[in-house]
Amino acid sequence: MFSGKPIKPTFKCYLPPAQTDRKNSIQPPIRLEPEFLPGEIVVNDVNFVRKCISAESSQGDLWGRLICTNFKVSFIPQGPPPKQKSQLSHLLLGQHDISLTCLEQVVTVNDTRGKRKVLGSNQKLKFNPTELILYCKDLRVIRFCFDEAGPESAKKVCLAIAHYSHPADLHLLFGFEYQGLRYHKGDLVNGSTPRGGIQTPVFDRPSDWDREIKRTGASGWRVCSINEKYAISDSLPEYIVVPVSLTDQDVKQHSPSFSDGRVPLWCWNHRNGSALVRMAGPADPLTQKKTEQKIFTAITKSHPQRREVTLSDLDKSLPNIQDIQSAFVKARQICTLDPFEESEERWLSSIENSRWLEYVRTFLKLSAEIVYNLDGKNVSVILLEEEDRDLNCVVSSLVQLMLDPHYRSLNGFQSLVQKEWVMAGHRFLDRCNHLKKNDSKESPLFTLFLDCVWQMTNQYPAAFEFTEFYLTVLSDSMWIPLFSTFLFNSSKQCAQLLQ
Amino acid sequence: MCETVTRLETDQEIIYMCPFSGAVKGKVLITNYRLYFKSSDAEVPVVLDVPLGVISRVEKMGGASSRGENSYGLDITCKDMRNLRFALKQEGHSRRGIFDMLFRYAFPLSHGLALFAYLNQEKFAENGWNVYKAMEEFRRQGLPNNKWRMTFINKRYELCDTYPNLLAVPFKCTEDDLRKVAAFRSRGRIPVLSWIHRENQAVIVRCSQPLVGMSGKRNKDDERYLDLIREANDTTKKLTIYDARPNVNAVANKATGGGYEGDEYVNAELVFLDIQNIHVMRESLKKLKDIVYPNVEESHWLSSLESTHWLEHIKLVLSGAIQVADKVSSGNSVLVHCSDGWDRTAQLTSLAMLMLDSHYRTLRGFQVLIEKEWISFGHKFASRIGHGDKNHADQDRSPIFVQFIDCVWQMTKQFPTAFEFNEHLLLSILDHLYSCRFGTFLYNCENARDQHDLRSKTTSLWSLVNSKMDLYLNPFYTPESGQVLYPVASMRHLELWVNYYIRWNPRIRHQQQSPVEQRYKELLALREEYLKKLEQLQLSDSSSSYQLTNSTTPNTTSSTASTPSQQYTHLQTPL
Repeated sequence: MFSGKPIKPTFKCYLPPAQTDRKNSIQPPIRLEPEFLPGEIVVNDVNFVRKCISAESSQGDLWGRLICTNFKVSFIPQGPPPKQKSQLSHLLLGQHDISLTCLEQVVTVNDTRGKRKVLGSNQKLKFNPTELILYCKDLRVIRFCFDEAGPESAKKVCLAIAHYSHPADLHLLFGFEYQGLRYHKGDLVNGSTPRGGIQTPVFDRPSDWDREIKRTGASGWRVCSINEKYAISDSLPEYIVVPVSLTDQDVKQHSPSFSDGRVPLWCWNHRNGSALVRMAGPADPLTQKKTEQKIFTAITKSHPQRREVTLSDLDKSLPNIQDIQSAFVKARQICTLDPFEESEERWLSSIENSRWLEYVRTFLKLSAEIVYNLDGKNVSVILLEEEDRDLNCVVSSLVQLMLDPHYRSLNGFQSLVQKEWVMAGHRFLDRCNHLKKNDSKESPLFTLFLDCVWQMTNQYPAAFEFTEFYLTVLSDSMWIPLFSTFLFNSSKQCAQLLQ
Repeated sequence: MCETVTRLETDQEIIYMCPFSGAVKGKVLITNYRLYFKSSDAEVPVVLDVPLGVISRVEKMGGASSRGENSYGLDITCKDMRNLRFALKQEGHSRRGIFDMLFRYAFPLSHGLALFAYLNQEKFAENGWNVYKAMEEFRRQGLPNNKWRMTFINKRYELCDTYPNLLAVPFKCTEDDLRKVAAFRSRGRIPVLSWIHRENQAVIVRCSQPLVGMSGKRNKDDERYLDLIREANDTTKKLTIYDARPNVNAVANKATGGGYEGDEYVNAELVFLDIQNIHVMRESLKKLKDIVYPNVEESHWLSSLESTHWLEHIKLVLSGAIQVADKVSSGNSVLVHCSDGWDRTAQLTSLAMLMLDSHYRTLRGFQVLIEKEWISFGHKFASRIGHGDKNHADQDRSPIFVQFIDCVWQMTKQFPTAFEFNEHLLLSILDHLYSCRFGTFLYNCENARDQHDLRSKTTSLWSLVNSKMDLYLNPFYTPESGQVLYPVASMRHLELWVNYYIRWNPRIRHQQQSPVEQRYKELLALREEYLKKLEQLQLSDSSSSYQLTNSTTPNTTSSTASTPSQQYTHLQTPL
């Protein structure tokens, strides 16, 4: 996952620094205007800011204007723009832009007084910052120095950045401002632009599910609309797929036995008839056994050979979301150490110690085992997870990616993400911690999934329609609140807020 | 393949103790070139085809009275990252025949026999011995010129018995100077030119350490000679001397009469590159073998890999070469040495030349590079590999050349379109480094090769390669001359060369040809086909309406005579 990022240190790090020491001369400012999106307004700005490029010397540093808007932090360097645009240039953001949602931590430093403060929203700062360090969720660490800037305006910008990156309410995320101006619910509701006439299904209507049932030949399964208007569960989509032997009434009756009313969900069918199903843990242990039995029987009935189901308890075999988060934090730390030589010597063991790759491996391994059950042993598999909204998302989508080439196309992959993550109620809002309110709920499950996919693309370079670049963009788009896909905890929340 | 293999002994039921699929019964055939095993059970088709040259050690395991199933047999240690175990029936000294045979033909030199390369009758369409002619290569570099001249002073290997017979030296120095310098350089390996930059005329010069010794001897001739090298390039204010060794080792070498250039070399600056010696490298690769064969150490893979230090050594060699290349491309002449100037020095100069000169990145150019910097300049292949020699614990053995090929592989990974050859070439080179089927890697120096009529009596590996070039070409190659390649020598970017070091493990999926490469080749073939069609259409078109063709002929058709790689440049860029 890390290789998609631009790598700052080059071989030059091994060479002694060049002798020439050019003084950076400050020239009278040309008007340095950023590009704004519709609905974007400047909150605060400061001139004569130095953006640090290298930790070792200030030689390559850039001078310019630092701006905080209601959407991003923007730095506009003086002088002519670079002749060549960087290869991974962004359609929505400039090279020196950071969306506010992408900020992990805002740190102000006063060098001379030896002070350092992590800023939140609505805070006061008792010293004039000489330096601002922005830790970003996309693994960037960006440093600005205020040695030539007006101390008061520098301070104001820092406070503004901290404040606006901690929105008090979901509505304050820039996406809402932008959404109203640019997109209208209606003709563009199905998201992505049509590609060769095919749109990515978003699974918000029965026909999308129907098509998926037909495509996979899942004759023992049907679309059920019992959750219309979110009648039985807040986190399930309005339309779900259940065994044909279960009536709507059965589904409704079984629903309270499961956490948040989440009756087991059909994910996918193998050509041999075995099905992949995901399920939440019990809400009511008393009725649970009985309900489970009924559901298992129904799933068995949906199998052409009436095979018994296999239950895979993911909570028991996989790391939990806190483990994953702390592994990610460690891996991020190692990857963003500056100067990078510090992590160089013990690079491999540090990466190992973070356990991130170990977790990637564990998820891939377990998914491969489930593939063996579905494909080799021809039995239906039920993925069980307490809430069915985190680990199940990763494993169910990996299993389908391994078994079904359709999902390895660009469109197929997007429909998979839509089906197993967005519609299945993965808590993007909480896991991304967009509101920065509850750190304990933050966990990079989607990033973990993308890393697993990247590992697969590496092992099977000709099997995927999309590239590493696509995965990087997808990952980055999590931190740009212009798209509603990764903003909400459930489709219900999305529907309510976008009304 | 049309090699002749003398049959020596066949047919004995034997059990191959395969570390991956367990004990496999079969028959074994030993010739003077190879050990061939085939399982008799058709359900487990296991075939071993091992050139005897890869064997470093054959041991008997178990005795006539040892108990336990399959405890009696042979244990074979190989030079190419694997071991082989065979079990036999305990009755009647059943292993004696095989053991004697293996021992004799795996180590022919220890038994007064000739290496197989001298018996090999293979014939190829091309004679690989013609790949490298020292004078031709110097001419390609634009030498001699008014600053550098050729000298035949070493014609009979009298100045230096481990150097080639043709050397390039500063124009201003006399033959007498060279003799005086030789007296002050370890084994007479005086500083001579390896490569000159066409534009800025900066040079890479290689040699051995100066014989400074404990007393800190000075040699005015050597000092003056180095200054002549510096003066031969206008932009070199100070000659940069890269001593490949760690500083402490260079100091320690004084005790045995060696050392490094001190402050008396006023117009020079000395940089130590911290690369460890042959013993450290040998132990490192041994550790690597321990964690990948037979089983890959899965649970703490990364830290185990780190503790072998193999990649760290690769990193130091590469970053040393990067520094050399960077200095030279910025117009500064450099001198590279280690202790004797035939191990680390060869690694550094050849890798730097690979970075600087795109010619060496072609299939033939790479052969020239190996012939020149490694073979002709006396990398001690015989001692480092131990061809045909039973003394497996010889302290002179070390995988220095393997390490070089690994560095090349790392570069091909980082610049997938910059090399004309593919991974298969690198694997083949390493296979035949041990096989003794070809004369290419035999002996320590040119002097010894001449004495043993190597080039007239054996076949070159390049004969095999150049007669079937298709096998070794990289379809993604896009020639770009004049571009200097600087790989990133950071642990983040170095990878373990799994396709080599772990290739015996069937659980490690390795693709002989990647599907992407396969697809790309298909596309290239398709393009060729369409171009031909287009040409045909235009031909028939031009016969009917001459005027029209003249105005609409696309550029591509006019260039059909050019090489395919040139035509495909456009197609390749998006990749």
